Amino acid sequence: MPRYQATLLIELKEGILDPQGRAVEGVLRDLGHPVEGVRVGKVLEVVFQEENLLKAEERAKALGQLLANPVMETWTLEALKEVP
Amino acid sequence: MRWAIVRFPGSNCDEDARFALKKAGMEAAFVWHTEKELKGFDGVFLPGGFSYGDYLRPGALAAKSPVMEAVRRFAEEGRYVIGVCNGFQVLTEAGILPGALLANLNLHFTCKEVGVRVERVDLPFTRLYGKGQVLRLPIAHAEGRYYADRETLARLEGEGLVVFRYAPLGGEEDYNPNGSLHDIAGIVNKRGNVLGMMPHPERAVDEVLGGTDGLPFFLGLAKEVAR
Repeated sequence: MPRYQATLLIELKEGILDPQGRAVEGVLRDLGHPVEGVRVGKVLEVVFQEENLLKAEERAKALGQLLANPVMETWTLEALKEVP
Repeated sequence: MRWAIVRFPGSNCDEDARFALKKAGMEAAFVWHTEKELKGFDGVFLPGGFSYGDYLRPGALAAKSPVMEAVRRFAEEGRYVIGVCNGFQVLTEAGILPGALLANLNLHFTCKEVGVRVERVDLPFTRLYGKGQVLRLPIAHAEGRYYADRETLARLEGEGLVVFRYAPLGGEEDYNPNGSLHDIAGIVNKRGNVLGMMPHPERAVDEVLGGTDGLPFFLGLAKEVAR
């Protein structure tokens, strides 16, 4: 079976205060970068075997549902590719 | 009453929980997180700690472990389920209690004693306290900021499900240690059998631990069974 790599981006929902992002933002400002805002998220790269690209996409989306907490986070399937 | 204390890889308040339950006259045994059944137990205690190193999110991986289906059934059957600190995080991640615990506003791991006001005294855990009584309990967490969306918060407040709230011990203004919405320190489900809280009552049951304000919590539970 072909192997696929899914890249999942998990971020705090808009409107939820991200103190980690605020801390990074403060440091960047102190260094003289005129940043407007920073949000810190997570990238998960998951490798798995699946029959075809269509099924791989289904599985990648199921993994996104499983790994993000819908109370506070959103997830996006950033990329899905076949890997050797 | 016989309690199951669930051990996840990284639990570290399991012994404290057993000490407190036994001190109140109840039985307690450790259960590994891979168990699928909780036979012979009347209650489940999810202890504090750092299950799975808090990887992904605190409590997130523990919430998916085999034992949690049994814990969910326990909750649905109306039997007692208590989650303290990481245990509270596990309960919210499992969707057994609403909301989520986010990083403390100050980004610090905060380990200190805080004031905790008892909002309800009609529950087995709180029946031996006075309404509005402020307890001195330890907290030790980096992700304890209770968050829920507006509708959920309104429902919690409307139905009186907030059991514990951070409160000043001696008039201090910055008494909320993590930025929890509505100063929420602990909540219960509607039926009153599932409790989640960030402060540690089990670490305040003997003078050698620095305080005894947590002891009535366990004595009240023991009394519940005796009834």
